[in-house]
Amino acid sequence: MIDWLFSPLLDFGFMRRALVAGLALSLVAPPLGVFLTLRGMSLVGDAMAHAVLPGVAVGFLLAGFSLPAMSFGGLLAGLLVAGLAGSVSRLTGHREDSAIASFYLISLAAGVMLISMRGSSVDLTHVLFGSILAVNGTALWLIVSVSSLTLIVLAAIFRILVVECLDPLFLRGQGIRGGAVHGLFLGLMVLNLTAGFQTLGTLMAVGLMMLPATAARFWSKRLEGLMGLAIAIGMASSVGGLLLSYHAGLPSGPCIILLAGVIYLLSALFGRYHSVFARWRRRVQPMLPPDAHG
Amino acid sequence: MAPLQTRSMAEPDTLLTLESLSLAQGNRMVLENIDGHFEAGTITALVGANGAGKSTLVQGIMGELRPVSGRVRCEVPNARRAWLPQQLALDLTFPMSVEELVMSGCWPTHGSFERYGAAEYRRGQAVMQRLGLQAFEHRPLGELSGGQRQRALLGRTLMQEAQLLLLDEPFANVDAATVEVLIDVLRTMAAEGAAIIIVLHDHDQMTRLADRILRLDRGHGTWSTPSRAGDASSSAETLT
Repeated sequence: MIDWLFSPLLDFGFMRRALVAGLALSLVAPPLGVFLTLRGMSLVGDAMAHAVLPGVAVGFLLAGFSLPAMSFGGLLAGLLVAGLAGSVSRLTGHREDSAIASFYLISLAAGVMLISMRGSSVDLTHVLFGSILAVNGTALWLIVSVSSLTLIVLAAIFRILVVECLDPLFLRGQGIRGGAVHGLFLGLMVLNLTAGFQTLGTLMAVGLMMLPATAARFWSKRLEGLMGLAIAIGMASSVGGLLLSYHAGLPSGPCIILLAGVIYLLSALFGRYHSVFARWRRRVQPMLPPDAHG
Repeated sequence: MAPLQTRSMAEPDTLLTLESLSLAQGNRMVLENIDGHFEAGTITALVGANGAGKSTLVQGIMGELRPVSGRVRCEVPNARRAWLPQQLALDLTFPMSVEELVMSGCWPTHGSFERYGAAEYRRGQAVMQRLGLQAFEHRPLGELSGGQRQRALLGRTLMQEAQLLLLDEPFANVDAATVEVLIDVLRTMAAEGAAIIIVLHDHDQMTRLADRILRLDRGHGTWSTPSRAGDASSSAETLT
């Protein structure tokens, strides 16, 4: 039974590549998501995914189904939107999330306009929803490189990110402008969204970033706990989603994200902290001495 | 209370100098031609009515605001400068314990990669003991009272071995016991050679803590000592 369940992962080359790609993405995207949720920027990931999309589409229109062209286009569009939004918010003093919302809409509209001018949009469903089972050697190299780079940069800026999230004034007191760190962080996010589009599609790549992170918050109150759990949930969703997709003949991207979604829902219901069940349990035992909660 | 650390290096007397400093918020001039110097070992109270520019001056000193004219000369390196802002600046939902917050005071000197060794953790324990925080060391920040949180924040500046410390109304929403602990620790820090600038409203705390007073009024600053500011008329305007 177990053999039947897991053997496809080892027996087929495309499944092996898909597995490695999924695990590599799951190693770095969820920690980025944890930081996004901690900064109250959960929806910024989604906005950036929309911002990346037109770049990918334009790359596709110019060079056909060429992974480097599409990735480069997506990266450029994402960084452009992040950079412009950051500059506008700094120059005008408006909140950054409203600037990002404005620029991703402009980017999206410009992308749709370009595509409609060029005609064909048939193959774009592939760009939108991805296909992890079609990951070739080039794509795999790209994904693994992005993951490794993200991991290194994240390690380098980890303490600064923590300080910036907790207490930006402490960071500025040290003469470090939060803007540069923040920009680097957004850059990492865009990089991971572009790496994820090949396997999950531009719109669903953000799912592997956010769902494990939001689910983990129901289980841990510690940063390392959140990170570790989010990675574990991401990896479990990737492996489980791939197998589900293989055995049930379903598209892989939605399988992976839906599985992460199921884990999120179960966590929201039965998680250790702040879940529906945890709140209910606290309500029926109001007479416990305060120390017993410790 | 015994000092936690001894400072080996010889410190310059004046750690911070303000030279005809003028600061604006947007295009509204808030402070004009503020002069003054802050020496090692002194506690300066920054007082004035709401809107007099106390926080603006703190921002100016920390380099948050570019001077319209004049300048701020600071002899203390960034890593030894600490700013305890009003509590609201802290994200209380962030998953961090008291111990981790205190230990994050090592970050300015240790950077992104250097390990926090056993010596640092021992120092962290001593800091928490001094502030009466051992019982809460693993408690998340969000579950602390205002007083406990303020102690933890001061613990971070102790870990940092701050030489220049700016505090913005540190005793607001803080219980009486914590005020005593904080005053005691601040006095010790000053005795160890730190220059401390503290925004205060309470006249009693000001006379107990401050060596000098910089009063801001309508954009101008006047220097005095606590005894001179201690008469009834000036204390009435201090309390806002």
